[in-house]
Amino acid sequence: MILIIQILVVVIAVAVALISLVQRGTYFGKAWKKIFLVALSVLMIVAVLFPNVTNGIANMVGVGRGADLLLYVTVLAFIVYALNNYLNQQEQRDRLFRLARRVALMEAKEKNKAKK
Amino acid sequence: MDKVAIIIPVYNESEVIHSVIESVSKTFNYIVCVDDGSGDASSEEIEKTDAYLIKHPINMGQGAALQTGIEFARTLPVDYFVTFDADGQHRLQDAVNMVKILKSQKKDIVLGSRFLGSTIGMKKSKKLMLKLAIIFSNSTSGIKLTDTHNGLRAFNRMVAETIQITVPDMAHASEILEIIKKNNYTYTEVPVTIEYTDYSRAKGQGLVNAVNIGFDTILRKILK
Repeated sequence: MILIIQILVVVIAVAVALISLVQRGTYFGKAWKKIFLVALSVLMIVAVLFPNVTNGIANMVGVGRGADLLLYVTVLAFIVYALNNYLNQQEQRDRLFRLARRVALMEAKEKNKAKK
Repeated sequence: MDKVAIIIPVYNESEVIHSVIESVSKTFNYIVCVDDGSGDASSEEIEKTDAYLIKHPINMGQGAALQTGIEFARTLPVDYFVTFDADGQHRLQDAVNMVKILKSQKKDIVLGSRFLGSTIGMKKSKKLMLKLAIIFSNSTSGIKLTDTHNGLRAFNRMVAETIQITVPDMAHASEILEIIKKNNYTYTEVPVTIEYTDYSRAKGQGLVNAVNIGFDTILRKILK
């Protein structure tokens, strides 16, 4: 028998996989990010359709229940995401600052020419 | 002093910047002011003087302002470069002395130290924070100094051409020491006097910012 939650998760997972494959923007541009998102979608479907699989893996690595394992993995994924986001932001900021510096220096050069 | 550019990062210093430039210009010919996106009349005050003005379109932090000032000063016919704070806490005679030592001892960079020299009006909490910062910086940068967060520095053209400050905010003080170590610049510390006024105290940095700086420095170390 199929539960409502199973339908919901499968639909969302398929949507995520499709969106990540179709997107051509910079964020989804990197191949490994696509692979990661598709793999994540597959895992979501597996976890919701066959709960025993996550239970089995959890027991294998020494965690009591499949739900606990999912929680740990989620927390870990979130930390990686947050750090990645922070580093991306810093990179963006560096780019912006380099651009702003060029603008400032060009402007100053113009002004000094006018002075002379 | 000929052939010396003095670089002053400016952020919301309209009250004092004019008089600081006036006094600096009695000794130095080339004054480079970088207005780091001030919200007040700092730029207008600088324009009233003969100093060069470079305006950041947005606020980027003191480290970024220093880098901009250095890059501009490279285009001037000078041999030596001095960084100087805008809030009037540095003494001009210290800057002159540092350039003299730079020339006579043939060092690449000369750093001011308030703990070899003296301070006027420094609060105990500020002193404690600085001492902690010194321990921290000395352990992360790999060179040992008595004062790691002093804005008064003098260096030669080789340093000006090669230095690349990437940390935009106040953590640049630690980064400069890492650059000294990495590029093998020869350096020495010189005693200087720092005079704290109500004005400069109000503009100083808080403890929260120190935590930010520590975090960023450690992250930079890990990711290298």
